[in-house]
Amino acid sequence: MPSELLAQSAPLSADAHLVDSGDGLHLLVPNGNRLYAVDAELHARIDRLLRAGDETGLTALLEDVGVDAPRYVDDHPPHEPPVRALWLAVAQKCNLGCSYCYAEGGSFGGAATSMALQTALASVDLLFSDVHAADRVNLSFLGGEPLLNRPVIHAATQRAQQIAGERGAIVTFSITTNGTQLTEDDGDFFEENGFAVTVSLDGPAAVHDRLRPFRSGRGSYDQVIARVLPLLERQHRMQVSARVTVTPQNLELKETLDTFVELGFHSVGFSPLLRAPTGQGELDAAGLETMLDEMVRCGAEFERRVITGERYPFANASNAMREIHRGTHRPYPCGAGAGYFGVSAEGELAACHRFVGDEEGALGDLAGGVDRDRQARWLSERHVHRQEPCRSCWARYMCGGGCHHEVIARDRPACGYIRGWLHWCIGAYARLSRHRPDYFAG
Amino acid sequence: MSIEPTNLTAQLHHRAAGNPPSTLPDSAISNCFPDLELDFRNVWRRLLEGIVLHEASGFVVSAETPNERFAGRFLISVADFPTRMELRNLEGEAAGSAFMEWSNALADVVALHSGRPVPCQFRDPAAPDADPETVALIVRPMFVHSQATDGPTAAIRDELVQPGELTQSLCSPWQNDYQECGCYYWAASRPDYVNVEHSATGARGDKWLARSRRLEPYEDVPDITHEELFREWESLLRFIVGGRDAE
Repeated sequence: MPSELLAQSAPLSADAHLVDSGDGLHLLVPNGNRLYAVDAELHARIDRLLRAGDETGLTALLEDVGVDAPRYVDDHPPHEPPVRALWLAVAQKCNLGCSYCYAEGGSFGGAATSMALQTALASVDLLFSDVHAADRVNLSFLGGEPLLNRPVIHAATQRAQQIAGERGAIVTFSITTNGTQLTEDDGDFFEENGFAVTVSLDGPAAVHDRLRPFRSGRGSYDQVIARVLPLLERQHRMQVSARVTVTPQNLELKETLDTFVELGFHSVGFSPLLRAPTGQGELDAAGLETMLDEMVRCGAEFERRVITGERYPFANASNAMREIHRGTHRPYPCGAGAGYFGVSAEGELAACHRFVGDEEGALGDLAGGVDRDRQARWLSERHVHRQEPCRSCWARYMCGGGCHHEVIARDRPACGYIRGWLHWCIGAYARLSRHRPDYFAG
Repeated sequence: MSIEPTNLTAQLHHRAAGNPPSTLPDSAISNCFPDLELDFRNVWRRLLEGIVLHEASGFVVSAETPNERFAGRFLISVADFPTRMELRNLEGEAAGSAFMEWSNALADVVALHSGRPVPCQFRDPAAPDADPETVALIVRPMFVHSQATDGPTAAIRDELVQPGELTQSLCSPWQNDYQECGCYYWAASRPDYVNVEHSATGARGDKWLARSRRLEPYEDVPDITHEELFREWESLLRFIVGGRDAE
């Protein structure tokens, strides 16, 4: 299956991609990520032109069938977008010793530090510097392990709630935690403030313990689960999700997904480890192919459960269904360096939480605000129209060119995996939109 | 060969067989007040549960039990957002008030209060000096909720508009709209006031909706009425053909 998917999803043109969903033939037009159902004759004609590399003929045919359109995404980066989301590295230290950690044990390669209260409050002020009634902003906390600096999280949250209340703005909160420090009081606090809580969990007990031990080497799974379970039962305003970093050592995704769905997580998502400071745990081509196979197994179960109307919160699939349904088309993989920044314990602004302490993504500081010159250069250089081989890939406006942090460090080793997964998701979307249109209609 | 749009961006770009180019978002006129393709003003008429408003004023067309008494009155504020703006002349003196287009008046109400009751103030034109009456009405959510996105879609909820209403009050440029949008709106094709001669006593000129071509002071020229325009637009509008008024 995976090698077949890799072949079917290979990029033949920047302007069209064909998907056979098993019960229908489909054409994706990347310009606007528009998806069409086509008959066998049109499918065959497009297929011939794609295989022949006949771009002129393809353009003419797309015009004939009325799917040509003005360019949905131009070359221009957004100009000085307002700040809308900040990730505060409130504790650049951690009590776990995960070998693959992008933050190198939580400290991002430097000394273990904690964010001072004044730095966190100044971050909140920056977040609200251009916010008016009904605007939405997000404040996130991570580390290291953010709960090692709980008072600062509380103070920053209260300050953000207060300013949002005064302005009539809407603020949402997120935290990414290893779960070992969670308490019942944290549950009250997250529930009260409607937090999206993401717990890093890498699999069932034995698998997780191998990848995410305490610094002493002891496994952390039992402690994390004991502390997370009370929160899972209390989810109302807060949402508690599991995020799994996939390495060669935890590729049994279906078992992991089922374990966490069963426990009652709001959603479960997988991310391949493509870049680790030590190089340990990075997935190679064979690992990514296995992961694709596992993702499709999970996706098939997701599809089955959607059709039968059962809950199965596989975040990668549900997010893909939502984005494909909307036809979301974006010139960037995320808002990093545009409306979204990471803030280091020292108050430096980085393109995102992963660039904390990295000159490559430095974009100003709290004292001086966003460095607009560096930001303009960042947004210009990171635009997917300037990325190779993205410019000739049909998936470019879906993946946006891939995680900046991984691409800058390791180029693009996962394009085949990403395209294979998206290709499968387009087929699943086509099937579900036919069998369960209500899933998309609301 | 057949091709059918599947997802939302494809549907938005879809031009059904026989439809003109103006049915696509990128080539539509998209002036939504009232517009040539759909009249978005009608979406606001049922925003508040229990009453139906006129599309271009705060006038209450009908009201359900127990609020029947509000029919015939004017909605003047919703959740403390006014539906009218106070006007001032160039000297800064009060000069009455004007109704705000619904999107300007109520966008914040939709953003902040959808699904919840809000205080609504009504004034009775039969008793202009009486205090406005306030009643709590629920703001209908405007957009269909998507289970997949757990957020609003671009689709307008069925409760907001009934079949046919979105197209019931479209532009009719040579008839209604020349009268409705008289003030400099059609400046390129139909300038409001031309051949103007200034003097110490004021200006005289040709007003385009005048009955005659005599130079008249601006205020004194009798307008052509709506009914006359509907009945005799070809002769009254006097299209210029070959550089001359067409009779």
